Amino acid sequence: MNALGHDVRFTLEAIWKVLLVSVILGAGLPAIFALGIRSLAWGTPAEGSARHDGTAAMGASSAAGRVVAGMLFLVVLYCVAAAIVFIIATGKGDDISFAHVIPTIKTKG
Amino acid sequence: MSAETLILALVVVTALGFDFTNGFHDTGNAMATSIATGALKPRVAVALSAVLNLAGAFLSVAVALTVTNAVVHIQQKDGTPSPSLTADGGQQLLMLVLGGLIGAIVWNLLTWLLGLPSSSSHALFGGLIGAAIAALGWHGVNWVGDGTKLGGVVGKVILPAVLSPVVACIVAAAGTWMVYRIVLGVAARFTDNGFRWGQIGTASLVSLAHGTSDAQKTMGVITLALIASGHWHSTTSIPVWVKLACALAIATGTYLGGWRIIRTLGKGLVEIEPPQGMAAEASSAAVILASSHLGFALSTTHVATGSILGTGLGKPGAEVRWAVAGRMVMGWLLTLPAAAIVGAAMYGIGHVCGDVGGPVVDVAIMLGLAGYIYLRSRRSAVGAHNVNDEWEGMPASGAAVSAPELTSGGVA
Repeated sequence: MNALGHDVRFTLEAIWKVLLVSVILGAGLPAIFALGIRSLAWGTPAEGSARHDGTAAMGASSAAGRVVAGMLFLVVLYCVAAAIVFIIATGKGDDISFAHVIPTIKTKG
Repeated sequence: MSAETLILALVVVTALGFDFTNGFHDTGNAMATSIATGALKPRVAVALSAVLNLAGAFLSVAVALTVTNAVVHIQQKDGTPSPSLTADGGQQLLMLVLGGLIGAIVWNLLTWLLGLPSSSSHALFGGLIGAAIAALGWHGVNWVGDGTKLGGVVGKVILPAVLSPVVACIVAAAGTWMVYRIVLGVAARFTDNGFRWGQIGTASLVSLAHGTSDAQKTMGVITLALIASGHWHSTTSIPVWVKLACALAIATGTYLGGWRIIRTLGKGLVEIEPPQGMAAEASSAAVILASSHLGFALSTTHVATGSILGTGLGKPGAEVRWAVAGRMVMGWLLTLPAAAIVGAAMYGIGHVCGDVGGPVVDVAIMLGLAGYIYLRSRRSAVGAHNVNDEWEGMPASGAAVSAPELTSGGVA
């Protein structure tokens, strides 16, 4: 295989992993975030039904909804924290480690 | 001042100038969506992005000294300059780097005038490739990788440029589609505030990642120039003042805000709503970080543009302005050759005008072109006050500058 072919092969090997990881994190996390927002709205009238008598008909989020939403937002926050640790690690030329669940910087080599 | 000191000083100042254009060219990558949806006021958005770019630049402790190795043969594997180029006290290498930087700056300014988001890294690579061809001939360029890992113009520039917008587009479209399905029927008082914070968070991540990756490149170029001229010897660390100057240059550029480009990204491609803004920036952050983890070099600009396009495709009924997208793709295709032609011309002119006159004439030409482009931009200024105005075709200047001028401007 010539050098050009190698470049194409290495690119294709990398790109589907980028796509896979990005779909999980880049599309999955917004979906989880949206589920959190939906949970907050549990037990409240849907859009459009509150407009007749304003705030009185809007109601507050249900307790269960708030707990579920909190858990979903925590998942998102955890991933954001991991992303920040990863950016710092890359800046130092290091890598990220998920040992003990908490994302930490792992020295390369 | 000796000839060597003069050219070194000009290279350092020009490199910082490039870093500055890199900053304002890319503000929109992170902040265009938040500005367009009103999640952040325009001035607040660029200030936040500037602070995060500054922080990101300081976080990058790794030495990106071998940044040019991806595309040209002017450095050895350990980052030191090729001995053949430094035999004359570094003059030839500095001239080559200066030509490359000027090619990148001129292209960045021209695309900014036209409101086109284009990759600053590709402009830098293009400029260096042109200057290397002029200085060393065809073999001065690292066209393809060495067969052991991704490398060369094909592996580090062309293939990522073709594929990364597509990946970002798919991810953002999937994210947008799911988010709209999930919050269907939820009252606006829940979605508005929630997605506002979602947008600010994801856009901040993109800004931080940008600061760490892009400021490093200029730091590497300046350090290379210092080594070539014998003012620095370490290949594992960079001078503190270089880091400080680069961080400030990219942050100042970001704060200035490339409003023309922000407008195209935020208003031109797609009319963006808060859920789309969050989906776009989440997609950008994920693609940038995932590919950086896998050692796959891609441009923040291509990813951000692909993501914004994807949110238009993922939301049922949303309109994508394909004419605007087409203009952008044309810009991307031209980036490498256009910057290369300027880079080669600058090296040639500098070579003819001698050790002292060459760099001075080059920088004078660059300043002249920059001044002209700035004056052209004043005819239809875009700023924080009108960045979100209704999109009616391209901004006035974009329509006024016709395609033939684009070509001649790129060659000049």
